Amino acid sequence: MEQFSNILTLGLLLGGIYALVSVGLNLIFGVIRIINFAQGEFVMLGMYGAYACYSFLGIDPYVALFLVVPVLGLLGMAVYWFIMRPLQNESMMQVFASFGLLLVLQNAVLGITGGLTYSVNTPLSNITYGLGSIQISLSRLIVLIAAAVVALVLGVFLTRTTFGQAIRAVAQDRKGAQLMGINVERTFMWSFAIGTGLAGLAGVLLTPIFTMSPQIGGNFIMAAFAVVVLGGLGSVLGAFIGGFVVGLTEAIGGYYVDPVLKNAILFSVFIVVLLVKPSGLLGHAGAEEVGLREQH
Amino acid sequence: MSEVQLSVQGVTKRFGGLVAVNDVSFDVKQGSLISLIGPNGAGKTTLFNILTGQLIPSAGKVVFEGADIGALPPNDRAQLGFGRTFQISQTLTSLTALENAMIGAFLRSKSISVAAEVAYLALEKVGLGRRDNIRAGHLTLGERRRLEVARALAMQPRVLLLDEVMAGLNQSEVNGIVDLVLALSQAGHTIIVIEHNLKVVRTFSQRVLVLNRGVILAQGTADEVLGNADVIDAYVGKSKT
Amino acid sequence: MSNTDPNSQGNDPVNKDKNIPPWKRVRTFKSEAPGLAAVVAVLGLFIFLLADDPFGVNMLAVALLFAGLAVSWNIVGGLGGQFSMAHSVFFAVGAYTAANLFLHFQISPWIALLPAAVLSAAIACLISWPVFRLKGPFFAIATMAFTEVALALAMHFTSITGGARGLSVPFKAGLENMIFRQRWSYAVLMLGYCAFSLIVMAVITRSRLGYYLQAVRDNESAALASGISVIRTKLAGMAISAALTGMGGVIFVMYVRVVDPASLLSLFDIGVKIALIALIGGIGTIYGPLLGALLIVPLDLWLRAFIGGKLPGGNLLVLGIILILFSLFLKQGIHGAIKSTWTFLMRRKL
Repeated sequence: MEQFSNILTLGLLLGGIYALVSVGLNLIFGVIRIINFAQGEFVMLGMYGAYACYSFLGIDPYVALFLVVPVLGLLGMAVYWFIMRPLQNESMMQVFASFGLLLVLQNAVLGITGGLTYSVNTPLSNITYGLGSIQISLSRLIVLIAAAVVALVLGVFLTRTTFGQAIRAVAQDRKGAQLMGINVERTFMWSFAIGTGLAGLAGVLLTPIFTMSPQIGGNFIMAAFAVVVLGGLGSVLGAFIGGFVVGLTEAIGGYYVDPVLKNAILFSVFIVVLLVKPSGLLGHAGAEEVGLREQH
Repeated sequence: MSEVQLSVQGVTKRFGGLVAVNDVSFDVKQGSLISLIGPNGAGKTTLFNILTGQLIPSAGKVVFEGADIGALPPNDRAQLGFGRTFQISQTLTSLTALENAMIGAFLRSKSISVAAEVAYLALEKVGLGRRDNIRAGHLTLGERRRLEVARALAMQPRVLLLDEVMAGLNQSEVNGIVDLVLALSQAGHTIIVIEHNLKVVRTFSQRVLVLNRGVILAQGTADEVLGNADVIDAYVGKSKT
Repeated sequence: MSNTDPNSQGNDPVNKDKNIPPWKRVRTFKSEAPGLAAVVAVLGLFIFLLADDPFGVNMLAVALLFAGLAVSWNIVGGLGGQFSMAHSVFFAVGAYTAANLFLHFQISPWIALLPAAVLSAAIACLISWPVFRLKGPFFAIATMAFTEVALALAMHFTSITGGARGLSVPFKAGLENMIFRQRWSYAVLMLGYCAFSLIVMAVITRSRLGYYLQAVRDNESAALASGISVIRTKLAGMAISAALTGMGGVIFVMYVRVVDPASLLSLFDIGVKIALIALIGGIGTIYGPLLGALLIVPLDLWLRAFIGGKLPGGNLLVLGIILILFSLFLKQGIHGAIKSTWTFLMRRKL
């Protein structure tokens, strides 16, 4: 039983990581329906950004986020404006273009860093708490808390603020939103920027936990899509819960079945969900059609 | 020649709480030309979709040449002989006009050369013979509507269903299609058209069905129906006294 | 009808020939055959010219293999409009089938081509049938998920795949083993594979199936209304495409003689690369992917050799930029660019 509670804890902490990493993609793919396969690279850039601040400016990663996140948001704006905006109605070209972006970002970092891997060791990153027979690191706990806070703030933002509602409006009906006076292009751009900024945030907070390499983004992207689809496209609460579903599946599957198979289980479940209820656990039926219907 | 070819029996279609088509029944004799009219939202296209298989009725039967076809998917019904055009023109924009028509012709023949010949003849029938090499995306709206008719004709249909095929066309284009439909009817095709243009409906005259809120309001020749007070009310709204 | 679109001024002036009735001008496989023969002959000539340059002939061999793979993908991806990212699974199935039959039963890879093709086609139908109803990007994501599942399963079933360490095929030269001492022999083999893929693609494009695939790609409801069984059409395209890809896997494993799950199933090395080559070359066309492979593979190898040392990953960086630029500005690929330039020049002449 104790073993199980350890696995549960591990799963929850993992879930926090997945939830945090996926919240940006949920906004970009789930709400405004842009396919961005390079989302994992923004997480990676967040990590490297935190590292750069730490080694060149001596700033602790948790402080660096105030610099890194806006920068990645700006990068996201540029990516949207020059790459995604022209490809608005062509989702398959978005797939290709974002793959191209993925290659560019990954290999730019690879070229600059020369393939060395880095890790950041700050005093905070070494604090752990004992819980039963396992040690929980503070950094993982922070990630978990951050995931919850971000989900809460984003949820409120999307439902209670004017701009948040504007975002949901343009996602559902571009023409209608335009007629209401909403600047569609700029709304999409800001949403995309928030999405990439959130990815950067995840990256910064994950810095104490993972050893960074330029390819680390690849670890997150498929899982992030799984979380977004499982939880329900565009549903903030859904993506939050989805993160934990994925984390727990990985922890439980990894322990009771061959650890190598945990991906097989996860993605099989993912495929089943796509077939049975593509709008995800918490999405409303038909949500997957929104934004992909022909917009003139 | 005056056999009942298509029989619609008590067809009803519900979408949640909305009843789009309500207990509609009528028979279609072989070779007849029927106009289906009614105000927007009356359920005309829904009825078409039930006839061609895009929708399955909530109740009722569709009997074609003696067989209940209610469960058949659209491609099987096309095989049986249902050819249709769509309200929003659905041509295959990356293919040429000839290739579009060939898609219909391939239903009856696997060979490219046979299909191409059948397709070309269909194009000529609708007056697009000289445009066969043009991408459908580059055709005018009127040409695209005629192309859809050609594609349906290339399928050698037993019943032709034309959904608002004149919508958005100018007068000369409308006249062209009216002549085409009359010629096809003369040649013996069974044709059902959804039409908003009442002048056209008068020209077709033979038999008119008026649908309003999913229910058949009136049936008869164009004169009978268009003079019917209920029909006028349905279009114009109840007149004030 | 006023229409200032130059395309609507009547039949294309270049192709007007009053003696041939319009329906006979429709291209059939017979009309493609001379072109195919010419292309194969030219490529054969290149092999001959490069036979003494190990780097060059190796590059050509790999380019031709990827050309064949990209042409196969194009059957469902370009013609059919189904952007499958699971083709690396079929590739791996072919590779592992051949490797296991060779290692455990000493069966020649030439014979293994058949079971590889059949198995790949069967698995393709099995996994794609349920996901066909998913729209564009969801279909792509689902196929990527399949690739991840396949990767995990490949790592797990080590008896078949050798796990992470992989399988290696000993160097036993001989035509019956599809293992050659000369590099140029491999190039000829790959040319054979590429030619076969091109022939299959040409046959399909100029057949009812090809037209049906395009109809389904452009407008499913119009296709249904025209009597096309969308499911059967998609399955047929996918099966043929997967079978060809599996055969490519057989050739690949006898060429590199060492395969492991990561290199076969990694999304980027195979799965996406094949689609990328088809896109850059010209999606939906017969020769497009060949052009794409002849550009991308040498470029990639050349960049790796010359920049890779100073700037690791530089080759992929350039590839990524090319991919972005093509998705934005050259969606019809090199083939489309050549065609537009040709039409432009032709109109100028007249």
